[in-house]
Amino acid sequence: MEERVQTSVGGVAAALDYDAELMLRVKEGDGASFGVLLEKHRTSVVHFLYRMVQNAAVAEELAQEVFLRVYRSRATYEPTAKFTTWLFRIATHLALNSLRDNKNERLQDRLDDDSSELPVRQLSDSRPTVEQNMVYEAKLQEVRRAIAALPEKQRAAVLMHKYEEMEYSQIATVLNCSDSAVKSLLFRAYEALRARLAHMA
Amino acid sequence: MRCPIETGEGPELLLAFSSRRLDPDRTAALEGHIAECGPCAEFVLAQRSVSDALDSWEPPLVSSDFDRRLYQRIDQQVPWWDFLVRPFRPLSGARWAPVAAAAGLMIAVGLWVGHPEQTPAPPRTAQVEALPPEQAADALQEMQVMQEFSNLIHTDAPEPRM
Repeated sequence: MEERVQTSVGGVAAALDYDAELMLRVKEGDGASFGVLLEKHRTSVVHFLYRMVQNAAVAEELAQEVFLRVYRSRATYEPTAKFTTWLFRIATHLALNSLRDNKNERLQDRLDDDSSELPVRQLSDSRPTVEQNMVYEAKLQEVRRAIAALPEKQRAAVLMHKYEEMEYSQIATVLNCSDSAVKSLLFRAYEALRARLAHMA
Repeated sequence: MRCPIETGEGPELLLAFSSRRLDPDRTAALEGHIAECGPCAEFVLAQRSVSDALDSWEPPLVSSDFDRRLYQRIDQQVPWWDFLVRPFRPLSGARWAPVAAAAGLMIAVGLWVGHPEQTPAPPRTAQVEALPPEQAADALQEMQVMQEFSNLIHTDAPEPRM
């Protein structure tokens, strides 16, 4: 789908991203457009939240709240920024609140015993041996611990930069800080991750 | 090319290079430099290891009932009148609402002006008329006679089989 289109909805002359145009349609009462937005961003929002809070059930609950807020805000929506910036701003806000509310509780429990939430691995041609599985689980655990050890804002910045491939300016808008602050957050975060994970090559 | 670590643009440039987000010209220039610069090569190698490690972290699949639960929550917050309007949703958009409202208003005014005397009369309430006592006694007597006559006729007929 074309990412940037000339909109004809709502009389807005400026070129908007396609998602913003869909959201303007939702504003006009088109429920199907909300379905399209949900289909398009559901997975990335849930995955971002999962990597932030590292709990599948909490991540889904937060993601539900994100989309609920999007729907509730439809009447007042104005496309002043990219739709994904707005979406991830809501998601990040909820994730940071959740982490602050549950500090020192849930996270440690999850990191200690979380085998039930490990994803099903996609296997191409052969089943991994028990040893390969153990190595994979150990690596995964190390990655999760390294991310969880980052300060919350650094974690959010890295996840948006790495998995959502956002620009510095977009991350800055989401985190409500300057571009240079985002660069600083990312450099410090990646420095910490290199120290912990570089040996995994 | 000067070493980006010495010029101060190192982390940003090397991070972009490691994430493969640099344009082709700068990528080619930096590749040439990295081939000769130990610290830059070390940075890129470590950063790509981090990137690969992060790539291996796959979150679990989203629950299949995620959308259903979401729409359920949305419906719980929708006012009751929205359910009434919903079947007409394609017509109730912002574009059609003023037109439909104006048309409805004009029809209503036209009907009222054309036939003001034809306003419907208020519905009559049900009334039970009170009968005089002697008329009621006659009616009961007639019913009794009819009952006796009916019994007389049915005594000749065979009894119904169960």
